[in-house]
Amino acid sequence: MKAPARRSALVAWGIVAVFLISWEAGVRLMNIPVYLLPSPSHILATLADNPSMYAQASLLTLGEALIGLLLGVLAGAAIAVLLTLLPGIEDGVMTLAILMKSTPLVAIAPLLTLWLGFGVLPKIIITALLTFFPVLVNVLSGLQRVDQPFLDLFHSWRASRWEVFRYLRLPGSLPYLFAALKISAPLALIGAVVAEWTGASGGLGRTMWLAYTNLNLPYLFAAIFILAAAGMILYRLLAWAEGRAVFWQSISREL
Amino acid sequence: MRVEVSALNHTYPGKPPRPALAGLDFSIPSGQFVALIGPSGCGKSTLLRLAANLLRPTGGSIRIDGRTPAEINAARQVAWMAQSPALLPWLTARGNVALAQRFINGQNGGLPIEDALQRVGLGDIQAAYPFTLSGGMQQRLALARLLIQPAGLWLMDEPFAALDEITRERLALELLDLWQPLHPTVLWVTHHIHEALRLADRVLVLSAAPGRLVADLLLELPRPRDESDPRFQAALSQLRTCLAQAQGEAQR
Repeated sequence: MKAPARRSALVAWGIVAVFLISWEAGVRLMNIPVYLLPSPSHILATLADNPSMYAQASLLTLGEALIGLLLGVLAGAAIAVLLTLLPGIEDGVMTLAILMKSTPLVAIAPLLTLWLGFGVLPKIIITALLTFFPVLVNVLSGLQRVDQPFLDLFHSWRASRWEVFRYLRLPGSLPYLFAALKISAPLALIGAVVAEWTGASGGLGRTMWLAYTNLNLPYLFAAIFILAAAGMILYRLLAWAEGRAVFWQSISREL
Repeated sequence: MRVEVSALNHTYPGKPPRPALAGLDFSIPSGQFVALIGPSGCGKSTLLRLAANLLRPTGGSIRIDGRTPAEINAARQVAWMAQSPALLPWLTARGNVALAQRFINGQNGGLPIEDALQRVGLGDIQAAYPFTLSGGMQQRLALARLLIQPAGLWLMDEPFAALDEITRERLALELLDLWQPLHPTVLWVTHHIHEALRLADRVLVLSAAPGRLVADLLLELPRPRDESDPRFQAALSQLRTCLAQAQGEAQR
């Protein structure tokens, strides 16, 4: 990490620390009841007291989120590839995709739970639906966005449509795929939790819903903490992978 | 390769349609280095794109060794180089050249990758990525990519226009050294009078759009060209006059 990046990371952690400390102090000084807002120390103690329960719930939710993300990414990328290779069908397919995207998933989630039960399947479907669209749009624009000088060169070599795709469009779309992943990965967590909230036999969403209906706020907040941390770690992992896979962009930015 | 252009017209569709070339007629013997010069928008790049089969003419014809640009393109006998080096950022210097090789599949006549990289002075940095190279080195790499193609015709659209003057002059001289042993026909688009005179056997001057041929100068001066040579100076002033005329016709 370069010096400015390290400094900005320090600033970020500093802001988080100040936020948590003033939260803690506020709760203690103003005697806020625990059923309205528990203090961070209380929340962390709740986490520490129930490690296996939270570990199980987190694994389930993360598993749903990641499988849903994987399916959403695969479907989005596959359709983007298809639309690039068969450009005639783009308008129709994109209309359908936008129609799907505009349908409120919060309304569909309970229906899926009703139809498919309390298992993991509806959660995975919701997560996939939620993560699919950013990938489709980003990868599609990455695949289509090729500068004219490159196309001229490939045409001068008499490259086939497939060769232009394989050697030019596909690698060129990688930065766009990562941009999409960085949007979709946090969405995947939200999708899994929202789906669980509408009815599930386990998972962080289920834990949160139970805690909420019992006004057991430390339990609710503990799950929120885990989700926030998981989202951040996921994002950092993706940023790291991006730096490796799309090395030409990150390096040329530094130069 | 011999290039014959007859009654060549090109008009870009649109409202109103934009005529780019109007009735060009000329022929280029095999191995000649021809500079195309003219006011901006005179259709010199259009002419090059027509020869490269990147465009189809709306009238007239281009024949390269008696065949159409499409046939020549299909036989991969034309090499193309433009102002943008168009290097793939995810491939190394060598990888970029090797990619071009993939498309000429086994045809003889071009240089081996190793030789091509050596010739342009990039033999030692084959593993470098394009974004670590300077603009001049990027164009050298594009030249190496050109050299491996067994092409009898080089179509070059202001390849050094984006470079600084010093690099540009040096690369132009290096290009001549690379060109002389292989001796393909070259169509070189430029808007740089000195560059045209330093490089070319012949300069074709086009008028402002729609481009017509207003002058055809043969330069029978030895290379490397000596700019203090009175014949060079005479050609320079002649070319300046032609270009002024070409501009003037546009304004009328």
